[in-house]
Amino acid sequence: MSKQVHRTLSESQVTAISEELNEPDWLRELRLDALQSLDELEFPDVIQTPGRTWTDLSKLDFEALVDPEGALEQKERVAPEGVEVLSFAEALEAHESLVREHFGSVVDPQENYLTALQTALFTTGTVIYVPEGVEAQAATIRTTMAGQSLFNYTLIIAEQSSSVTILERQETADEGDFDERYYSGIVELVAGENSYVQYGSLQDLTENTYNYGLKRADTDTYATANWIDCNVGSRLTKTSVETVLSGEASESQIVGAFYGHDDQHFDVDARVWHENEHTTADLVTRGVIDDEARSVYEGVQDVGRDAWNTSSYQRENTLMLSDESEADASPKLIINNHDTEASHSATVGQVDAEDLFYMKSRGVDEHLAKNMLVSGFFVPVLEEIEVEELREDLNGRIQDRLAQRTA
Amino acid sequence: MAQLEIKNLHAKVNEDGGEEILNGVDLVVNSGEIHALMGPNGSGKSTTAKVIAGHPAYEVTDGQVLIHLDDEEFGDEEVPEELQTWELLDLEPNERAALGVFLGFQYPAEIEGVTMVNFLRTALNAKLEEREELFEGDESEDDEDDEAGYETSPMEGAADEGEIGVAEFQQLLKEKMEQLDMDEAFAQRYLNAGFSGGEKKQNEVLQAAILEPSVAVLDEIDSGLDIDRLQDVATGINALRDEQGAGILQITHYQRILDYVEPDHVHIMLDGEVVMSGDADLSVKLEEKGYDWVREEVYGTA
Repeated sequence: MSKQVHRTLSESQVTAISEELNEPDWLRELRLDALQSLDELEFPDVIQTPGRTWTDLSKLDFEALVDPEGALEQKERVAPEGVEVLSFAEALEAHESLVREHFGSVVDPQENYLTALQTALFTTGTVIYVPEGVEAQAATIRTTMAGQSLFNYTLIIAEQSSSVTILERQETADEGDFDERYYSGIVELVAGENSYVQYGSLQDLTENTYNYGLKRADTDTYATANWIDCNVGSRLTKTSVETVLSGEASESQIVGAFYGHDDQHFDVDARVWHENEHTTADLVTRGVIDDEARSVYEGVQDVGRDAWNTSSYQRENTLMLSDESEADASPKLIINNHDTEASHSATVGQVDAEDLFYMKSRGVDEHLAKNMLVSGFFVPVLEEIEVEELREDLNGRIQDRLAQRTA
Repeated sequence: MAQLEIKNLHAKVNEDGGEEILNGVDLVVNSGEIHALMGPNGSGKSTTAKVIAGHPAYEVTDGQVLIHLDDEEFGDEEVPEELQTWELLDLEPNERAALGVFLGFQYPAEIEGVTMVNFLRTALNAKLEEREELFEGDESEDDEDDEAGYETSPMEGAADEGEIGVAEFQQLLKEKMEQLDMDEAFAQRYLNAGFSGGEKKQNEVLQAAILEPSVAVLDEIDSGLDIDRLQDVATGINALRDEQGAGILQITHYQRILDYVEPDHVHIMLDGEVVMSGDADLSVKLEEKGYDWVREEVYGTA
C-alpha cells in the first residue's frame, strides 16, 4: 500500500532534481534506474519475534511523508586542514571521477526500497575527501532539515594512510509546520589502505520525524573504520551501522547509544562481515528506554570462510526505566571459519534493585539515584568518543532527557 | 546523642507466603556505643540490618524501628522536641539516611560509570538537603531537589555546587582516605567496580566516615579481610565512635574483629530473635562454646 509512493513519483521529478543540481548523465541514470527498481524492491529486514513484527515499515505512509519538492535544509560544514568537505555539487565539479568511482560502491543504490528511494530523490549531500597521508582533526557536518522530507547522502573517501575524525549531526529546524516528516540518510565510507576513520553521528530530529539510516564502511588492508552512532530524536528510527572488513588485518568498532522516551521507537542494527584474515571487530551498544518507548536491536557478526584468525566481540545492553517500555535484542554470530575468537551477548533489563537500594541507603533519593545510574550506564559509550564536541553533545542530550523524567 | 530502638520487630520475605525471618527483635543502640550482633547463618542478623535500612525485599509485619534524636543532634540547627523521634519504618531508605542511619553492606553494589568522589559528594549533599526538608516540613516542597544531581556529569564530576562544594569535599575525602590508609586514586574509580573484597569493605567504612551517621549498622564488615585490611577497617570503625560519636551495630560471625573493635555490648540472635545479651566477655565465651551452648542455655536442649 504504502509503496504506492513511487506511483506518484515521476521520471520528470527525478530528472528535475538532477538537472537542478547540474549533475552528469551517469548520476541521473543511476537515479532513474533506482526509481524504476522501486517496484521490485523490498523493505530492509526487521526483527520478528513470535506474533510480532517490531518495526513494520510497510505500514508507513511514504506517499504522505515524502515531498520531493519540499526538501529544505540548512547545512554547516567545517573542514579541518588538509581535508575537503564538499557539497555534492562541489565534489562533482572538483572530483567527478573519484565520486563516480565510489558512489554506490559500498551501499548498492538498489539494495532495498528505501535506499533506492533515497538514491532517486536525494537533494543534499556531502563528500569528505581525505587525501593520501593526511592526518586531520575533526570534520563536522550539521544538517538541519526544514522541510517535509529530506534525503541526505554522505560519501567519505579516506585514502592510503590518512586519518580523520568526523562528526555529523541531524536536527530539525523550528520553522515549518508538518504533522509528520521523513529523514533518510545514507553514509558510505571507503577506508583506504592503512587509513583510520572515526565517524560519529548524533541524530536529534524532532519526535514527529520518521528516520531511515544506513551507514556502511568498506575497509582496505590495515584500515580502521570506527562508528559512533547516537540516536536520541525521531518518532521512529530504523538504522543500521555496518562494516565490511574486506582488507586483511582491518578493524572496526561500532559503538551505539540510544535513549528513547514517550512513544519513540528505535530499531537499531550493528553488523560486521569478516571477509579477510586477521580482522577485528568490536560492537558495543547501550540503550535506555523510558515511558512507552520501544527498542529492538540486532547485532550480526558474520565470519566468512576465508577469514582466518578473526577476533569479533559484541555486547549490547538495554536498560528499561518504565514498566510500559518494551525492548528486544538479538545478537547473532555466524561462523564459517573455525579460527575465530568471538563473543556475543545482549541483555534487556530494568534498573538493578540492589544498586538502587545501595544508593538510597546513602541518602540519595530514588529519582536522583536512577539518573546517576543512567548517566553511569552511558559512560562506556562516552569514553569511546574521540571528538569532544560529540561527547559533550550526547552527554548534554542524556542529561536533558533525565531532567525531563517525571517518574 | 541519638538512640536506635528496635521493638518487637517481625519481618518476612516480601512475597506471598514469604518466609518469616524476624520473630520479635528487641535492641537498643545509643550513639557512642559499640554493639556486636552475633549469630549462626540464617538467624536473621543481616535481615535485621536490611530492615533497619528499608530494604524492599522484606515486609515488616509487626514492631517498630525508632530513632530518637536530641536537640543538638545535627550541630547548630536545633531539633525541635516534636521532631526528635521518628518511626523509620514509615520512611524511605534515603530519608532514614538523612536522619543519621547508615548501613554498611555485606556485598556492596558495583556501580559502573559513577565515580566514588561524585557519588559521595552527591550523597552527602542529598542527605543534608533531605534532612532540611524533613525538619522544615512542607515549606521547601518545591525545592529543586529533584534536579540537584543530574547537572553532574559522570565524566567530569559535579557541575553544580551543593551545600558542600567540590573543593571542600575533596579536602574532606582526602583526609578520611588517609585515615583509612586508602590510595587517593580510589576517589576517581567507579563505585566498587572491580574493587577487591577488602577494598569494598574499606570503602563502606570510608562512606560512613564521610556521611557521619548517628548510628552505623555494619553487616559483616569483617568478612573476606586479610589481617592488615582488618586493622585498617577496625581503625575506621573505632574512629566513627571515638571521633564522631556514632553508635555502632556490628554484625559478625567471628570474634576476630572484636579483638580490634571492642564491643560494649554483645547480642546473640537465634531464629529471628535476640536471645542473649552481655558484655564483651559473651563473645569470648561464644567463641569457646559455640551456638549449641546458647541453644542449650535458651531452650534447654542441645
